[in-house]
Amino acid sequence: MSRVSFRIVGASGQGINSIGDIVSKALKRSGYNVFGYREYPSLIVGGHAGYQFDIGEGNVRSPAILLDAVLALNYQGLTRYFAPSANAAQYLKDGGYLIHAVENWKFSEADQKYIAEMRIKVIFLPIHVMLKELDAPLVLQNVIFAAFLWELFGQELPLLQQVVKEQFVKKPKLIDINLKAAEKGFTFRPEGEVPRITLPAPKDEWKDHLLITGNEAIGLGAIHAGVRMYTGYPMTPASSLLGYVAKTQNATGMVIKQAEDEITAAQMAAGASFMGTRAMTGTSGGGFDLMTETVSMIGMIESPQVFVLGQRPGPATGVPTWTTQGDLFLAVHAGHGEFPRCVMSVSDGLDAFHLVADAWNIAERYQIPVILLTDKYIAECLFCLAPFDPSKTVIDRGNLVTKSEELSALKTEDRYRVTDDGISPRWVPGSIAPGYNANSDEHTPDGTVTEDSKPVRDMMRKRMRKMETLERALPEPELYVVQDAAPRLASLARGDQQDLDVLLIGWGSTKNTVLDVLEELGKASNAGKAGKVGYLHYTYLWPLKVERFKALHARAKRTILIEGNYQGQLGVFLREKTGIEIKERLLKYDGRPFFFEELRDALLAPTLSPVHA
Amino acid sequence: MNLELRKPTMKDYYTPTECTWCDGCGDYGIWSAIRLACTELEYQPHDVLLAFDIGCHGNMSDKIGGCYRVHGLHGRILPFAAGAAIANPKVHVLAAGGDGATFSEGVNHLVHAVRSNYPMVFVLHNNGNYGLTIGQASALTPQGMVMNSSPNGIPEATINSMDLVFSLAPTFVARGVSYDIPHMTALLKEGFKHKGFAYIDILQACPTFNKQMTNKWLRERVYKVEETAGYDPTNFEKARKVAVDTSEKIAIGLLYTAKDPRPNFYENLVPRKGKTTTIVEEVGKQDVTELMKEFM
Repeated sequence: MSRVSFRIVGASGQGINSIGDIVSKALKRSGYNVFGYREYPSLIVGGHAGYQFDIGEGNVRSPAILLDAVLALNYQGLTRYFAPSANAAQYLKDGGYLIHAVENWKFSEADQKYIAEMRIKVIFLPIHVMLKELDAPLVLQNVIFAAFLWELFGQELPLLQQVVKEQFVKKPKLIDINLKAAEKGFTFRPEGEVPRITLPAPKDEWKDHLLITGNEAIGLGAIHAGVRMYTGYPMTPASSLLGYVAKTQNATGMVIKQAEDEITAAQMAAGASFMGTRAMTGTSGGGFDLMTETVSMIGMIESPQVFVLGQRPGPATGVPTWTTQGDLFLAVHAGHGEFPRCVMSVSDGLDAFHLVADAWNIAERYQIPVILLTDKYIAECLFCLAPFDPSKTVIDRGNLVTKSEELSALKTEDRYRVTDDGISPRWVPGSIAPGYNANSDEHTPDGTVTEDSKPVRDMMRKRMRKMETLERALPEPELYVVQDAAPRLASLARGDQQDLDVLLIGWGSTKNTVLDVLEELGKASNAGKAGKVGYLHYTYLWPLKVERFKALHARAKRTILIEGNYQGQLGVFLREKTGIEIKERLLKYDGRPFFFEELRDALLAPTLSPVHA
Repeated sequence: MNLELRKPTMKDYYTPTECTWCDGCGDYGIWSAIRLACTELEYQPHDVLLAFDIGCHGNMSDKIGGCYRVHGLHGRILPFAAGAAIANPKVHVLAAGGDGATFSEGVNHLVHAVRSNYPMVFVLHNNGNYGLTIGQASALTPQGMVMNSSPNGIPEATINSMDLVFSLAPTFVARGVSYDIPHMTALLKEGFKHKGFAYIDILQACPTFNKQMTNKWLRERVYKVEETAGYDPTNFEKARKVAVDTSEKIAIGLLYTAKDPRPNFYENLVPRKGKTTTIVEEVGKQDVTELMKEFM
């Protein structure tokens, strides 16, 4: 049993997340490696939402299409996941469970036939009777459902009850009734024989892992990296990042500002970072559009700034609560004029934590805007990760002058001094040193406005040299390869000499599905079927490093670009820099991530077919 | 430059960069008053940040030396300066913007700056037009006036700037005129001492493009509230009435200062209560061990 997938579905606001949070946390504490993936519409109550959990024998980072169980909170959810359909990507596998609480529900004859053919086990929970017996309100159905699932997975009640208790630690009066509801759901026995679902083997090491969303990890990473101020304006999928740093502000002392708009959020953060703190801002594409004039200004005044750009499908309001990788062009081209910048992308919960410090170090070293891309998938998926290792974090403030003897030796014209690497000394207001003018007009080294030919040229060259300096310093993309019969992934420092049958190229959250599939392909049962597959993952997207790509591409039998956008945006940049056009492309732009089976089957097929027509 | 912490003088705010304003421009007076206020308050230049918007006044950013300055984007200086003031409350932050930046391009920022009561001074260079782009109308230009790009007179109604500001519950409102440097200096000093958002409207001559609001025209109309018997600048309703009504006479001076001003934005931040360090000083690796436990 390589993975078990179950999905809780219903209307938004019915308590899907509550059931999911309880069950996933309890599973993790029991040593199961669990991954959570949410789908929901852009509204508060109603619509159709789903929270899917995939439990693996190793790391799981992507959702499957085939489901072992569906728990439907409303009747719409009952028929949606039977068979492959246009409504939902996922469906029940042969022998799957369909659990529901819809009274007097009658399946159509066709549905009944399908249920019989597919040996789907339909289980009805008389939730209203159970609630009545408990004299409990409807909201308690969440705990009943959670406990029923818990029993179905063959687990022990006390651990689940402990998690339930923790959920109500601030509402102690509600604990007792919730514990009773848990018992009710756990001891319920449906009609007929219902065999338990066998989960993949648990491991003790996973019990102490974190179960954390990407946005929570970015928030923790920001706190850890010394970010002392966060500004934002609510916009999915960045809102929950604002929410997390706001929730923890009394513990961290961070200044939180929900601004009147994204222009303000960007400018306030820029003003604060200019003063020498680390003030971060985050948004999604539409909000980032408004921030772009600030990105340009940061480029000019050479102040450090990190922008988190959480992608969701556009254009315009687009598909607000779904995922995409459609804003790479936006990040690379944002802002008028030419100036150096760094664009990097988070891929999962782990680098969500570590890349914040990295982004700030780059921003301060090169005194440039850094755009940290993420997306709805990363932002809201639950990742099962070992606790973050703080010893890996370095705080590098670059050429920031703070020592009094060095400050007193500064001259005002040192601030934008023309240097070989383009980087000048930086000091901040309040420092006992000569002041300078951080001028959004073109300027001489002390910030005085100039429109003369030579200083305009010199200053442009100075700034753009930082881009060259940065490009030299950035690492080449990481290579992951499938080892024969060993599903371990190797990130090779010197992997350019690999002769690959298939070279995959990608960035961002797509890495999750790719790594899951690479592990699958490395299993003995798949030996030789897909050939030797490697995945070249770009964390640093601009400036773009291409040497490893060129070397690997030259030796690979096939190169396949995989991106969650329409144009293959990374592919466009690679072609621009190398002249190499990647002809085989797996592109997805329907708001959904690459699902596990979808990518696996694409790679097992002799030729590539589009993942969706 | 002598960096010892002696009493600062006007020379410490000097730069040889030549001024580029028109003869008779009100910017000269404001330029002098800002430097005088900082000097008289004995602010060390390194403790001062002057933040300028775009426009003729914005070119002041390199006509003042010694202190830290920023010359930002059009309409956006308020949020930038607010971010700066919050990050390091030990630095005295003054932002300046024209009537175009403040009531057209960035009026939303003004609304929220007053409402948020950021700890900073704001100087409105109010000359009733866009000087640098050669005389287009701003939202404060009188309706019907013929301006560059409005040959038939501007069709929009004029914003009553003081009415708008007073509707936002300000904690400090003053008005000066650009030809009266000592008076402006006094207002700026009061503004710097104010703990919240100090809004200072300076009626500024633009001899090139504003032929109506000349210094002569202003002199005939302005009166100082501090010279008016019984004027109480802590009386909000009275101050609002006096500030808004400019039909015959124009009141200048410290028009309103809250007797017991509400806390400024920074003082209202619960996580900052009792903190003696600034968020600039606090940058460094923070331990997140406790925070991680929530996810276990």
